[in-house]
Amino acid sequence: MTKGPRVLIAKAGLDGHDRGAKYVAQILRDAGYEVIYTGIRRTPEEIVATAVQEDVRAIGLSILSGAHNVLFQRIMDLLGEQRAADILVIAGGTIPDGDVPHLRKLGVAHVFTPGTPGSEIVETFGRLLSTGTPAP
Amino acid sequence: MTPMTSTLAELVMVAGRPGPDRTRAAAKLMTRLEDSPELLPEILRATHGLAEPRLILGVTGSPGCGKSTLVDSLLCEVRRLHPESAIGVVAVDPSSPFSGGALLGDRVRMMRHATDPRVFVRSLASRGRLGGLSIGTRGVVRVFALLGCELVIIETVGVGQSEIEVVRVADVIAVVLAPGFGDTVQMLKSGVMECGDVYVVNKSDQSGADHLVGRLLSMLAHASGSMDGAPPTPPTLAAPPTPPKVHSTSAVTGEGVGKLLASLDQYVAENADKITERRRHRERDAVQDLLVGEIRARAANALRTNSRLATAVDDVLSGGGGRGVNDVASRVLSVLADATPPPARNTPDVGRP
Repeated sequence: MTKGPRVLIAKAGLDGHDRGAKYVAQILRDAGYEVIYTGIRRTPEEIVATAVQEDVRAIGLSILSGAHNVLFQRIMDLLGEQRAADILVIAGGTIPDGDVPHLRKLGVAHVFTPGTPGSEIVETFGRLLSTGTPAP
Repeated sequence: MTPMTSTLAELVMVAGRPGPDRTRAAAKLMTRLEDSPELLPEILRATHGLAEPRLILGVTGSPGCGKSTLVDSLLCEVRRLHPESAIGVVAVDPSSPFSGGALLGDRVRMMRHATDPRVFVRSLASRGRLGGLSIGTRGVVRVFALLGCELVIIETVGVGQSEIEVVRVADVIAVVLAPGFGDTVQMLKSGVMECGDVYVVNKSDQSGADHLVGRLLSMLAHASGSMDGAPPTPPTLAAPPTPPKVHSTSAVTGEGVGKLLASLDQYVAENADKITERRRHRERDAVQDLLVGEIRARAANALRTNSRLATAVDDVLSGGGGRGVNDVASRVLSVLADATPPPARNTPDVGRP
């Protein structure tokens, strides 16, 4: 049985809306990924520590609370501190289009906004993880 | 940052000593050993003489009986009693037989320990393998030893052959049950009786728990053929006396967890030498399995591709001229003996991506 890449799907902060995260976790599993899912209300510290221990290729972070700018900054800072900046960070949630360039500048590899079809999510993950570079 | 192309030896060196990249190096080592179980002998050689964990505890049982919560509870108790001790947890979940992927969710129940520098949790997918999974797990446990873990817990869902194999990497196997998961016939069917050294009835606060404890004790007494629940005389290795058979816990409240831990501690203190001896024995078994696996793979490949064996299967089917399985197998082996060996799959001093 061929092995799929290991990824982490996480939710940070006080946002408890996990349907989207669980959906993405399942479609990635169905696409052959090994998905570590850590539930709701995690701190950025817990998420990055988990990502390092589990040696994941990417963190998929779901944020529907509006706190994305703060939380992604914190995640990128922590990854840098732990010398794990090669772990890709992928965002999903209710993120306004206007905020996407800022997140990309922080180093977030891709931002999925509401309405993105599951097939596009799987395809994008596949592309990002095979090249290891953020999408243009 | 640990380079992606570090050799095994470099990763071992960084993982084995305090430093900013230690966790990362250990995690990458675990990935290598899981992906390539045949690296086990190499890691054993590279870590020869390393202090080993005091106890490798296997925790298994049906989904929903509270295994992960119990492990979380054990972690809290050990951290409280031994604040300087490091603990490693391997949580194994099944891979989808359809997609090959897996949803690894055991660690959700242990997230309070996520930033504790002395607790390291690694999730593994079973990947539908037999043998390879237990050898990969053995490699991961070795990395926990590199991290200085005194206690290692291996958690699996006890429903398949591969999970039972993984749990054999452990010194002591705890089978977790809970009331409401079927009657005694169910217990007999599930192979539970053969697997455990210790039985933990979790959710002790729920009705039916005491009854389950009673049924377990009586079934264990029957299984061993004695009335006091003592285990039968083991046929091969001299097994150390086992700890008390049945414990009652409520992982959610923590009740009974301290007693379970104290009982395991005592067992280890009284049987350290025998534990070490059995580990060596099982390690040899694992390496032997690797050898047999390699031979099997070469034989299968030869049957498929070697022109000298093109008629082998037909010969067995036709049976003419005394060509039974034995004869043809001997012919395969002699063809293998003549063949050039394939290149080694791992060359120790070359960087592996």
